[in-house]
This record gives sequence, C-alpha cells and structure tokens, in this order.
Amino acid sequence: MNELFSKIKIFYEKHKLISFGIGLALLLAIPALFPKSYIMGIIDRILLYALLAGGLNVINGYSSQFCIGYAAFYCIGAYTEAIMSLRLNFNFWILLPISGIFAATAGLLVCLPTLKLKGKYLSIVTLGFSEIIRLIALNWSGLTGGPMGLKGIPVPNFFGIKIKSSISYYYIFLGLVIIFLFATSRVIKSKIGRAWLSIREDELAARSLGVETSKYKALNFMYGAFWAGVAGAAYAPYTRYIDSTFFTLDEGFNILSMVIIGGMGTLIGPVAGSIVVNLLTELLRPISEYRMVAYAILIIVMMWLRPQGLFGASNSILSGGKIKKKEERRKKKEVVV
Amino acid sequence: MEYFLNQLVNGISQGAIYALMAISYSVVVGVTGLITFTHGEVIMIGAFASFYIFQFVGNNLILGFVASFIASWLIGMVIYYVCYNRFFESPSHISLICTIGISMLIKNLAQIYFGPNQKPMLNVIDNKVFRIGVLQISMIQIIIVITVIVLAGILSFFINKTRWGIKLRTVSQDKKAASLMGVNVSRTAMIGNCIGCGLAGISGMLISVYYQTLQATMGGSLGMKAFSSSVLGGLTDTRFSALGGLAIGIIENLGIAISSASFRDIFAFGFLILILIIRPEGFATKKGARP
Amino acid sequence: MSALLEAKQVSKHFGGLKAVDSVDMTINKGDIFGIIGPNGAGKTTFFNMCSGIYPITSGEIWLDGENITNMHSEVIARKGMARTFQNIQLFKYMSVLENVKIGFHINTKTRLWDSILHSSTYKKDEKLAEEKGLEILERVGLTEFKDTMAGNLSYGVQRRVEIARALALNPKILLIDEPAAGMNPNETKALMEFIKKLNKDGYTIAVIEHDMKFVMNTCNRILVLSFGKKICEGNPEHVKSDKEVNEAYFGKGILVREAGL
Repeated sequence: MNELFSKIKIFYEKHKLISFGIGLALLLAIPALFPKSYIMGIIDRILLYALLAGGLNVINGYSSQFCIGYAAFYCIGAYTEAIMSLRLNFNFWILLPISGIFAATAGLLVCLPTLKLKGKYLSIVTLGFSEIIRLIALNWSGLTGGPMGLKGIPVPNFFGIKIKSSISYYYIFLGLVIIFLFATSRVIKSKIGRAWLSIREDELAARSLGVETSKYKALNFMYGAFWAGVAGAAYAPYTRYIDSTFFTLDEGFNILSMVIIGGMGTLIGPVAGSIVVNLLTELLRPISEYRMVAYAILIIVMMWLRPQGLFGASNSILSGGKIKKKEERRKKKEVVV
Repeated sequence: MEYFLNQLVNGISQGAIYALMAISYSVVVGVTGLITFTHGEVIMIGAFASFYIFQFVGNNLILGFVASFIASWLIGMVIYYVCYNRFFESPSHISLICTIGISMLIKNLAQIYFGPNQKPMLNVIDNKVFRIGVLQISMIQIIIVITVIVLAGILSFFINKTRWGIKLRTVSQDKKAASLMGVNVSRTAMIGNCIGCGLAGISGMLISVYYQTLQATMGGSLGMKAFSSSVLGGLTDTRFSALGGLAIGIIENLGIAISSASFRDIFAFGFLILILIIRPEGFATKKGARP
Repeated sequence: MSALLEAKQVSKHFGGLKAVDSVDMTINKGDIFGIIGPNGAGKTTFFNMCSGIYPITSGEIWLDGENITNMHSEVIARKGMARTFQNIQLFKYMSVLENVKIGFHINTKTRLWDSILHSSTYKKDEKLAEEKGLEILERVGLTEFKDTMAGNLSYGVQRRVEIARALALNPKILLIDEPAAGMNPNETKALMEFIKKLNKDGYTIAVIEHDMKFVMNTCNRILVLSFGKKICEGNPEHVKSDKEVNEAYFGKGILVREAGL
C-alpha cells in the first residue's frame, strides 16, 4: 500500500499537469458513475461543505484566529443571493462574487473591534455576531421573509440551460471548490500566506519583522468570509428555499467540526473533514439524534490523540507543541549528563 | 415612565443572575487561565438538577440550591479532566476546541434525555408582588438579589481569607511557581473550576425559577451572556464581572422596553461589541488585565 | 559621525517600579554599541522601548532624524530597525529559509491579486526573497541548514538564524539581545567575529550582553545601566576604569585604611 502511494507521489512530482488532468477527468466522470440523484445529493453536500470548511480553515488554520460563528457569513451570502435575485432579478453568476464581497465586508466589521485583543475575543464576538445575524434574519420580515423564509429562489442559467438537477449543481460546486483550492494554494505560497503563517506561529516576532498583524489578520478574515458568502450564494438556488433555521450556531459548529476532524492548516484537511463528516451523517442517519453526540466525541478524541486532525499540519504550532517537548527532554538529558 | 421603571427593576433582578454567571465564569477562567465554552451547558445542568429535585423530592428551595450546586460540581469535574488537566502546557486552542466538543456532547445528550421541548418550572416561591409607589417588585426578584449578594459575599470571603482561597489565587497567577511551593496544582485548579461551575449551576436554577421555564438548549445564549458580562468586567476580576452582568441585564430589559422581546440578545451582544470597541479592557481599572 | 538612534531622557515605569529612568543614549552610524549592566538593570526593557514593544512613560526616541516615540513595532521595523530577542523567537516549525523569507516582508509588495494571478510583481518578489534569502544564509554560514526546521537546530545556530532573519529587513540598525547567552566559548568567539564582520559590511549594531570579554572586545562604545539609571557611557577603556561601574558590579569595597583597621 505504501509502495503504491509513493509511486503515485513520484508520478505526480514528474507529471504534474497530466495527473491534474487525470484527477479532473475522474471528478468530471463521477456523475456518470452515480446516476442516482440521492447519491449525487450527498456528493453535492460534500463539495459545498468542503468549500465552507476550506474557507473557515483559512481563518482558523492559517492565522489561528478562532472563528466559531462562521455560519453568519454563510447566512449573509445566502440571503444576499436570494434577496437580490428575487427582488432585483440579478444574474446568479454576478451574485456569486457580490455575495462574497458582502460577507467579506461583514467579516471586516466583525474583526475590526477585536484586532487589538487576543484571539479568544474574536471567537466570542463571532459567536455573538452569528446569533445577531440569525435573529435579524428571523425578525426583519420585510426583507428576509422572517420565520416564513424566502421561497422560489430562481434557478441559475448557464448559456440558456437551466440548472436544476443535482448533477448540474455538482459541476457548479466542483468548479467553486477547484477555484477556491487553486486561489488559496497560490495565496498561501506568497508573501501574504507567509505573513499569515508568521502570525499563527509567533505574533510578537512577526511584528518585529514589520508584518502589519492587524492588516493581515483583517485580510485573512475577509478572505475566509468571502468564500462563506460564495458558498451561501451557491446554496440558496440549490435548495430554492432558505430560512433562518439553516444558519444556527449548530451549523457553525458543524462546519467547525469538519475543519477540526479533517485537520487545520492544510488545504486537503477540510476536504477530508467534509467527506468524513458527511459520510458519517449518512451512516448515522438511523440514529439521527446521536449524530451530534458522535461528532462531539470524535472532536474530543481528536484533540486528545491528534490535535492537528486527520490531515492537519503536523509541522506547526497547531499540533500541540511537540518540538518543545523534544527540546525539553533533550535539556533534561543534558542536565543528567 | 412607569413601564421604564419597572423594566429597570426587572433588569436589576435579571442582571443579578447574570452577575452570578459572570462571577462563576471569571472564577473558572481565572483559575484555569483558559476560555471555556461549556459554561452555558453547566448552567443548564444546574437548572435541570433543581427541576428534577423539585419534581420528585419536594418544593424546597434550599434543597434545589444544594442539588444544582452538586450536579454542576460533578459536571465541572468531568469538564476539568476532559478539557484542562492535560492541556495546561499545550497551545490554548486545543482546550478551547475540547470545551466546544464537550459542550456539544452535553447539549445533545441533554436533548435526548431531558427532551427537546420547553418544560415549565414548578412554582417554588410563593409569588407575592409588593408595590412601592409605581414600582412592582415580586418575591422572586427579592430572593434572587439576596441570594446573589450572599453567594458573592461567601465567595469573596473564601477567596480572600481562607487557606484554600490563597491556594486558588497562587494557581491562577502562576501554575509553575505554585507547584514549586508545594501546591497541588491539578487538584486546586480542579476545585476552583468546580466552584465556578457550582455557582453557575445555582444561577441556572435561579434563571429557570425566574422565568418559570427551562429547556435543554437554554445554555447557548446564557453561556454567551456569562461570557459577555465577564468580558465587560475584564474577564478575570470577579467584582467587575458582576458589574458587567448587572449592566447587561439592565441594558437588555431597557432595550426590550423600546423595541420587542425578540431583540433581547441583539442588545446584549451589540452592547458587548460596542464596549470592546470603546474600552477594550472593560470596566476593569487596571490596564492590561486581559489574559 | 551622525546620530542614528537617539534616546532622550527615556523612562519606563511599571506601576511604582522605575525600570528605566531618564536614560540618554546616542548611537552613531557605524558603531557597535554595547549595553551592559547587572541583572535587572533594565537593558531588555530599554530595547523593547526602542523597538516599540513597550509604550514609553516619558522621553523621546529618534531614529535617523525621525521621532519614533511610541510607534508600533511593525512601523518601527519598516523605518529600519530590526531586532532579535533574548528568548529566541523563531518560527520554530518553519524551515530556516522560510524564516528568512518572512524577513523580506517589508521589502516586497505582493497583493492578494498578484499572488492569485502570479503577476509580474509576485514573480519579482518571490525571486528576490529566494535569491536574497539564500545570499544572506550564505553570508551567515547557514546554507547547509536551509531546509531544516528551525526548532530542531541547536541554540547557537538558532541565534544566527534570528540574526539572519533580521538582516533580511535590510535595517539601518540591528538590535541584538544577549546573543552569547548559553553559548560555549568557541561559539562566542565565532559570534564575535561574525558581529565584527557585519559591522564591516556597514551595519550599525547595538548589542546587550553579559559576557564582559565579548563586549570589551567587540564594542567601540558602551552604555552601562544599573537599576534603570545610566551610570556611564564611553569607550571600553573609559568604562573599565569608571568607579561607579566597578561599584555596580562588585559592590562598594571597604578600604582598609578608611575602616580604621
């Protein structure tokens, strides 16, 4: 098994473009393999949550700001798309980035007051913000439909083809996830990504090197919130109906648990987390009330055994300071000698 | 005007409960040095413990206090061993995630075993209403305020005057130094955490008696109220946290007076965010009190 | 000789404690400036004030003719001051080269769009960080460690990585906090040579150190602090013969004749 993996890895290193092509072809062929719309529905969910978890991972994993109320930005994106397409007849494809920008602006508003404080305050403010947004969605009946929600959200048009089936949504979600992974992998490898990582690892040192921590934290938060907005905008026409119960704190926790289980600080982690959690959801459907219990236990076990998650960055502060321990052990040895 | 004055009275009694929550929260945070998200669930467990005692044993308020204190003390022990004991040396986000995990666990188990619906709390206190001029003050409100003041007094005596209190303070300041001085850090921190949780349990009972309802999901917003109040007071200072709780209670009730009850939480969190913008250190007089 | 870093009557009080008490200091271009003093004399506090980590209670700090009092440390870093820390603050989980690349932050201009689209700005910046980073590692003698995780290196090497990272800022002045702490005599000697070499390359350096031999042999000017107060400033010969300095380090001797024995 390991041999196979290493062979694949060598092949990938040699022929990057070809392997990307093969992977893409496989992904494009998935709808042909699973013609049942039930299974395609699950795969759609996996992709949607991969996008959400990926966006959250940018915040929690790459700059170790700890956002908990991520559902708020998802909510903002979904309502922006729904309201603008219902009231103003805007095109879906234009609304994707617009919703993202709305969510990113909200993200900026949330993180501005907490930039000077330690990260824990940001967690709480996001939590409170998530509740505020949900309550506004629930109570501002004039704009959001209140408890009745918004019905009949128009389906998007792709060069005259109406996108309705779960197979065609599969391609939309897949496209978004690929764009997200592509953009984020490039950002992470640039100066901006390095600045984020330096803030995660040691904020004091980062500042002494001239990294404007406030600016880069805000940028990081906005980038993460942007993708939640995009995901929300893609989700609204997919279900064609939204109300405030879709965007509770539990939804935020759900996304967070995907990031934690899959692993923070890597691109592949949240995708894996989304696959694991969504498949678990399907498997645990018979005992649906224990589903969240199972997640909770999984999260705790993960923190005890592998704090960085399944595919998380083991070479980082996220994994719980293992180098430090080694160093201490060495120092102890030296004292003994 | 009458309405506003009465809302002020309601605000003070509700603020007293929030003050107790905030005190308990700042005890926990002060001792462990780590932020917790389980507090709402601890409050909920305290409320349910008293509910079942009232239902099956009898309408005795003192018994309810004891039951909710003990139940949330036990939950506090579980939380301590799952979330804190191993992780004092690790990066703080690990224990933070653990508290999120255990809060999900408790909340969902409670929904399964206690039922997801709202339950009516029994009428423990004979609900007389006193009228002073235009003001209406109920028996429950008086009892709540007195209870909170008494508990805060006991806690303050315990922390400042007793041997155990001194141990708690050493642990909250510097765990390594405390352990070098022969303090059993693990046990002391556990007891401090449990005291905080026990007080939270009592506040849970008070709030469910006050509103005469309780629910397995009540913890979420209450935990955040406790946190917000505590943040207003500078997070680890119990006296200022109590003040923060009082402020949030009053703001909420006055806010309801000018709009509708469904915006209650918006006022609380909006106030918190506003304070964080204007005066990040909260009400605390010392600058740099944030951990 | 023009003044590069100037402190004018700088004080820092923590509550009632006067950690630094109206200290004057002038570092000229091209100096290796040593700051010495007994433990708790306020040397590191003084550095932290210069680099903007602590706010200043009173007084002013000027860098190259510009008042930088109470500016944020990232702004001061941009203005040309780089520093290292007493308890090494490396990015432990990153490779040495990545550590140095982060040092190039202020000298690169990539924006979000540049990095996503791989624009020419991005390519130029990455090339700069890569090439100059390797060049600095070469100069510091760390090329062999460039892919090692910084946390796994030995103490002395970590100190050098920290200096290399600070050099990436291309600073006007470099503040080094206790570089020789925990080093053996050979490593200290190598470090001395290294700092002299940096100075020859044109860097102005301020260094806090406990090791007297180190300070006396490398620095051309020395400031002595004791209990937050400046007790002496001058060249090594002057400092060595100063009475107050000797008292601060060795205590007031009782002359036999004065005691009347």
